[in-house]
Amino acid sequence: MKKTPIWGMWLFTVGAFAFVVAILVLVKAVPLETFSGMVTGALGTPGGWRGTLREMTPLLILGAAVFLALKAGLFNIGADGQYTVGALAGVATALAVPGPLGMVLALGAGCLAGALWALPAGLIKAYKGGHEVITTIMMNNIARFLTVALVAGPLRNPAQESATTKILAKESQLPILIQDGPFRLNIALFLGLGIVIGVGIWLRTTVSGYELMATGANKRAAEASGVSVAQTLVKAMTASGLLAGLAGAVHVLAYENRFYADFSPGFGFDALGVALLAASNPFLLIPAALLFGAISQGTSAISILGVPKGLSGVLLGLTILVFAVFRYRKETPHA
Amino acid sequence: MLSLFVLSLTLSVPLILAALGGLTSERSGVINIGLEGKMLVAACITGLVGMASGNAFVGFLCGSGAAVAMSLLHYLVTQAFRVDHIISGMGLNALAVGLTSVLHKRLTNPDFTDRIPGFPVQVYWVIAGAAVVGIAWYLNRTKGGLRLSAVGNDPDKARQMGVQPTLVRFYALVATGLFCGLAGSLIVTNAGSFTENMTAGKGYIALAALILGGWRPLPALLACILFGFFEALQIQLQGQAILGVDLPSWVWQSLPYFVTIVALAGFLGKNQAPAGLGRP
Repeated sequence: MKKTPIWGMWLFTVGAFAFVVAILVLVKAVPLETFSGMVTGALGTPGGWRGTLREMTPLLILGAAVFLALKAGLFNIGADGQYTVGALAGVATALAVPGPLGMVLALGAGCLAGALWALPAGLIKAYKGGHEVITTIMMNNIARFLTVALVAGPLRNPAQESATTKILAKESQLPILIQDGPFRLNIALFLGLGIVIGVGIWLRTTVSGYELMATGANKRAAEASGVSVAQTLVKAMTASGLLAGLAGAVHVLAYENRFYADFSPGFGFDALGVALLAASNPFLLIPAALLFGAISQGTSAISILGVPKGLSGVLLGLTILVFAVFRYRKETPHA
Repeated sequence: MLSLFVLSLTLSVPLILAALGGLTSERSGVINIGLEGKMLVAACITGLVGMASGNAFVGFLCGSGAAVAMSLLHYLVTQAFRVDHIISGMGLNALAVGLTSVLHKRLTNPDFTDRIPGFPVQVYWVIAGAAVVGIAWYLNRTKGGLRLSAVGNDPDKARQMGVQPTLVRFYALVATGLFCGLAGSLIVTNAGSFTENMTAGKGYIALAALILGGWRPLPALLACILFGFFEALQIQLQGQAILGVDLPSWVWQSLPYFVTIVALAGFLGKNQAPAGLGRP
């Protein structure tokens, strides 16, 4: 088969960009003003940086979670649901046990909840061949209904009009390191960076990391050289869920400080984009998370100009497609 | 009891249409998790154009056209650029959620309080029923249908036998777009107006029904009715005690999704995918 010419990919990129411009014109926004507003809103002011780094934190951890699964050949679309249950478990634990001990327990509870939420998808994939994309999406829906019911029922703060938990006490929150005018830097960002670097080192230097990547590269070859593919798949999916749950717990302990109905703005799906952009290098998760954090913060900033927040979805989807066209082609047509 | 039956059928029609869209695509070897996004775009455009023109047919035409355009974008990305099919599908779904949100927020006429003009739902019932029978016949009894299966099962061998996989897939994906267009316009017609993310995972449930039905039209139809039944059960029985046990509402709401997981775990039949699924 003939190879796709390189100009075709650039044409596709230009087409994607033209599409965004056309949409902006259609909704009566000035494209140049919108783009410059996004850049200034995300990276041009201390307050913008605060928001960008805040959005970046869960994307780092969730990106590492999705990346880990992707290296084993699994699409963890369920990161969003695992993140949600992790966040709720984290809040519930931190409310029950105040102080630093509660903080540690809350992070652990988040990990546990996320891992348990991912486990069925891993088991079904490994032993029954049911596709993880569908099972994890179903688990996302169940997570939404369950957490909404819990926050409207037993965990609800009766003093509030809407369905939300109580706000965590100051000593249960992850501390802010730098506070300068509108700028804030929470320790959670460094936790996220540490997790990304840890996952990168783990994948590249340990036996279990190697087995995971071997499974993702070629199941048959991995099995033939003594790797238990089924077990590796279950472990990879569970570990991915664990990290996603941790991301939820970190996000509530550091930034939101409470849980409310429909908690996730779709971080789990953004994380798929982050992991895809990082491609084969785990350390590229850091700039990828920064980019998606900036897009998210930038579109929030320009929503004042009357451009809806949904623009971030358009940019996210097109970024995935354009990047995939350059990076994720199948090299040989023969299996 | 009769109303439960009718409600089950009503709720299963969008699933059947979407599952047929998935069937034409996946039997030709193109994995399609983007059904959800195509339906959502079709629902949004059908609503907006229907609202502006006041004409059900024009609305439907534009909505379906948008779904076909999305489907051809999937074709371009997976066939011309040979991108992994799941990545392309996820990208398209993200695009669809964002795009419909932007268009809906900015272009909806706030003075329009009527229902969006649409065909009577019976039209969709007839189309869905006829399409299931028609596709079953087409797949097993015609040259084109056998070519479609040949491409989906072994694209290399099909190529050697003189069948162009990319051409067959082009037509298959146009059909996918049309079916998703029908499903989306039915959803928005049923609801009367567009709301953000209103397809609520139906595209994925339809895909699960397709898998459960072994990628064959009639079993897939039955699987869709089964999912429709559980959704109807959820609507009708929510809040009622069953055998003295009062289940909380979130359990009822989760029921269709839970059944999907059980189905994919292989407890309701064996998964038999087309052998060439996802191959270039």
